[in-house]
Amino acid sequence: MLARVANNLFWMGRYIERAEHTARFMNVNYFSSLDAPNKLSQSRQFVLHSICSMVGDDIDDAIELKEEEVFYNVGMNPEKHYSILNCVKYSRDNANSSRDLISTEFYESINKFYHFVMNYSKNVFVKSGLHDFTTNVTEHTAILRGKIRGTLLHDEVYALIMLGVNIERATQIIRIVKTKFEDAQKATGGYANPIKNSYEWTTLLKCCESYDMNRRFYKKPPVQLTVLEFLILNESCPRSIMNCLNQIHQHMTILDLLKIRDKNSAAFLIGKMRSEYEFKTVEEVQKNVEKFVESTLNTLVEISAKLENEYFNY
Amino acid sequence: MDLGTSKPIFSSYKKNENLYDEIFDEHENVRPTYKKILELYSDHSISDFASLNEKAKSSFFNQGITFQVYSDEKAQEKIFPFDLFPRIIEAKEWKAIEKGVLQRSKALNEFIWDLYHEKNIIKEGIVPLDLISSSVNYLRQMNDLDPPGGIYNHISGTDLIKHSDGKYYVLEDNIRCPSGVSYVICNRNALKRALFGVFNHYQIHAVTNYAENLMEIMESVKPHGVDIPNCVLITPGIYNSAYYEHSYLAKTIGIELVEGRDLFVENDFVYMKTISGPEKVDVIYRRIDDTFIDPLEFRSDSALGVPGLFAAYKKGNVSLVNAPGTGVADDKAIYTYMPEIINYYLGQKPILSNVHTYHCSRKDDLKYVLENIASLVVKPVDEAGGYGISIGNRLTKAEIENVKKVILENPRKYIAQPIMSLSVHATYCEDSQSFEQRHVDLRTFTLLGDQKSFVLKGGLTRVALKKGNLIVNSSQGGGSKDTWVLKK
Repeated sequence: MLARVANNLFWMGRYIERAEHTARFMNVNYFSSLDAPNKLSQSRQFVLHSICSMVGDDIDDAIELKEEEVFYNVGMNPEKHYSILNCVKYSRDNANSSRDLISTEFYESINKFYHFVMNYSKNVFVKSGLHDFTTNVTEHTAILRGKIRGTLLHDEVYALIMLGVNIERATQIIRIVKTKFEDAQKATGGYANPIKNSYEWTTLLKCCESYDMNRRFYKKPPVQLTVLEFLILNESCPRSIMNCLNQIHQHMTILDLLKIRDKNSAAFLIGKMRSEYEFKTVEEVQKNVEKFVESTLNTLVEISAKLENEYFNY
Repeated sequence: MDLGTSKPIFSSYKKNENLYDEIFDEHENVRPTYKKILELYSDHSISDFASLNEKAKSSFFNQGITFQVYSDEKAQEKIFPFDLFPRIIEAKEWKAIEKGVLQRSKALNEFIWDLYHEKNIIKEGIVPLDLISSSVNYLRQMNDLDPPGGIYNHISGTDLIKHSDGKYYVLEDNIRCPSGVSYVICNRNALKRALFGVFNHYQIHAVTNYAENLMEIMESVKPHGVDIPNCVLITPGIYNSAYYEHSYLAKTIGIELVEGRDLFVENDFVYMKTISGPEKVDVIYRRIDDTFIDPLEFRSDSALGVPGLFAAYKKGNVSLVNAPGTGVADDKAIYTYMPEIINYYLGQKPILSNVHTYHCSRKDDLKYVLENIASLVVKPVDEAGGYGISIGNRLTKAEIENVKKVILENPRKYIAQPIMSLSVHATYCEDSQSFEQRHVDLRTFTLLGDQKSFVLKGGLTRVALKKGNLIVNSSQGGGSKDTWVLKK
């Protein structure tokens, strides 16, 4: 496969995934804040800052944000590289460049998605369309994942897209954990251990579509420990970092079985990170969550850079 | 029922007596081939058609069968308009077309070989030397170079029209990078989706076998010593208006779609940059014009091509489809010599007629043209896409004077032909929400390989959507129709 096209496939996967997480984060945060149990979690400013922070637009907490402006920037502003609109546009641009390798069915779905986002009324979106727009985005991405799995050959094309999807998913989940962890420090819960019981943990699970399964797994209301364990280390949770790493590892071996023992390769680093995670405990993570988040993010960036260097450097 | 919108589809069809109508004969009777389909279509009301038309449009749009138009700095996506009424060609009629276009492709191939080798046809005075030496498409780099299999024009697109006498005439041969074949297949799919019922009543040749035949043609001209050739298609990139076609062909043939930057040349071999390192490339179906394929040999400002590609080609290490330098033979001035060319190389009479052509480079012809511009079509010899054409009976006096001036500045650049009246076909018009007569032509696709040839049983019927317009090119607002070739 052409190195240029491999790059396109990888980033197509990443942008599809990014669009989904951004959309869901906006949706869940905003709507769960409406009836949140404490004042801060209910506060519009708190939610808007949280949304900006998640997409990497760090704004001083003291600055007052306008709801419509934040919605527009994160959802549909063509000038903002992080907007959902741009994620969808970039993913479709990448699909265009690799169009001969992907199925007609998949292309048609991504193209429809693109037109849906481009044609959505900006006015409606910022005034009343948040829920409609973001749920549609999430659904379109689910369709795309289905078409990727169901209509493409499970060869290196598939492996590259899935590498992109899972690296992005791990990155977004860890970013969401980071953002909500910071929120939980501010919006503390009641009783003896305020941070551990914060309402933000529930929101965090919902942001990752993992609330129901978390309840089913622990049979208790979510607290810091169970939420972090579930989203970071539980390999059967499809949104957990552990699950992503397992998939990244699996697709990496499809792409390149030979390099796994080369200690400078992406494949080696992926294997190493996965092994470290496999024997990590949530108690260790809890000791310094910020540090753990930082190192996870850094390693993911490093993996991406190595992939770029080894495969996409044309 | 709303009587206003449910009127039968042909109730307001206006027939112009002077034009050849593909569906109705001169006594206003439906031609036998179209009887059944007209009957079937009559079950639909105009409003049915309006909604089918919308559906077909959104299907093209969602599938991304589009091209980009740039206006106000914003790129806009447009679909090529597709018409729901198919053009039907009888088996007997097709047989002659197929033989005729293949004959032309073969003769042109022999002609190009001769031009770049012995030049016998010039020595014998059949084609004048200055016509060749003055052609910008003549590549001296191709002299004495033997392309693999001896094939230059692997892919030819021949444009035909039906005149008011009911006979087919060839308008031009396109043997550089003819495009449009993907639309033949898309149109068929779109019509099948929209009006599947009508297909039960006709025995129609499939058009999906183009890709596999193109693959065989490419493999047949592989470089010497290669066992299983690695074939690729090179495109200028996603912003090219024919990018959809490039990606469609690469996908259906199952070969890589590459850009210039994906290839490099080392020791006169061509490689593509893959995730597992360089991979040798043997056959390139190039959709980039001659002058852009190699900045070292041709235009040095080309960013689309591959430096060193021509040297590799010259060494016989890579095959190019079509060969460089074919443009010298699809020049509109060469076109006029086609009957002589066919006779000279094949010893045959041309099966398809040429439109009589006046060369402004000839003194007598030039005089005739200047005196009769009002009844002639004047065309530049080396432009594609319908640009630079003036149609005499549409011009004002001032415009005629202007055309005269332009011709006199460079007579070699122009030819003139009598105004041919393209046949008309019932076409759904969105503005009037009804079927109206519109002019059509037909582009056929012929493949030529080593010991192998193929003519696609179907073609692209292009239709001029503007009323009375004779220029059918998509760049000038033309649309297209599904084209059925009947099995019997």
